[in-house]
Amino acid sequence: MKKRSKYIISLSVLSVLFGVLVSFQTGQDVEDYKLVSLSSIQMMKDEIAGSTDEIENLNKLIDEKNMKLNLMKKAIEEDDDSLEKYINEETESIKLVAGLKDVKGPGIKLIIGDNEERQLIGDNIQDDIIHDSEVQIIINDLKNAGAEAISINGERLTYKSEVKCGGPIIRINGKSSANPFVINVIGDPELLYSSVTAKKSFGWTLKEVYNKKVEVEIKDEIFIPKYDWLDSSFKYANPIKEGD
Amino acid sequence: MILAILGIALGVIIGVYIPITYSATYSLYVSVAILACMDSVFGGLRALLEEKFDTGILISGFFGNAILAAFLAYLGDRLGVPLYYAAIFAFGGRLFQNFAILRRHLFSRLFNKKSEKI
Repeated sequence: MKKRSKYIISLSVLSVLFGVLVSFQTGQDVEDYKLVSLSSIQMMKDEIAGSTDEIENLNKLIDEKNMKLNLMKKAIEEDDDSLEKYINEETESIKLVAGLKDVKGPGIKLIIGDNEERQLIGDNIQDDIIHDSEVQIIINDLKNAGAEAISINGERLTYKSEVKCGGPIIRINGKSSANPFVINVIGDPELLYSSVTAKKSFGWTLKEVYNKKVEVEIKDEIFIPKYDWLDSSFKYANPIKEGD
Repeated sequence: MILAILGIALGVIIGVYIPITYSATYSLYVSVAILACMDSVFGGLRALLEEKFDTGILISGFFGNAILAAFLAYLGDRLGVPLYYAAIFAFGGRLFQNFAILRRHLFSRLFNKKSEKI
């Protein structure tokens, strides 16, 4: 009988040890092994490619800035004349970017307007007229296609331009614009053209589904006027000086 | 039997309250070792019911099997072959076998007791 009790005691001790081990392991928070599928590998690869592209672009930007810096240093070292020239050039380019200069170039002329047919598409008359939001989506599509300058009914779009509903009219740059809207765009004409006429694009939907007027014309030369400031002072935005 | 179950419960409680952690990379080895320990405990219970008391074999089996299983898993990792499958199949198969025999013993005991009473 002594043998039996000894055996039972050792078995109990081993059981305790076993329980301790089990609870250690369960409290371990083992992370799940994730299944790696082919598509996930592809996704990861795409992500990596995107990141490398981004890095390349940033490197290019650094090179560009370095070149500019060298140019400026050179201008400072040389006589006053070249510095003045440099500053003028810079101002001109900034004006171009800000939309303060008249520009012309190849692009498209896009006319969008209300549904002109007698037959209404839906019960609601609202479905047949052009809204500010639709103009905004079109503009966004054009920008996405690489538009460099845009004007709507002669109003140049800048970073500040609003496209706002004003009842029967749309307000752009604080000025009223009425149907139809002539949108002039400068950029790659083919790209711009397809951005509003491609199947399932927003322009296509407007034309084919809502039966609104969407006319696109590729032009070799388009004139886009500059933006006229009403009030060019900044009340709230203060530039940060370098070194601050 | 009851002592073993109580022991496992006690061990779990102790393990929960002792704050020991180890690297997650070892968790595979430990889990294979746990399987080996489980096999040993079940085997011990079976031997108890069969009234074959050999403490030495029980203890050496408990630790030896655990260490061997963990070593196999480690070796498999080194060689790139999932050798721990060997341990899983061997101990897993034996676990069920032991459990089956254990059940038979228990049922026969219950049945005998009843028949004695009648």
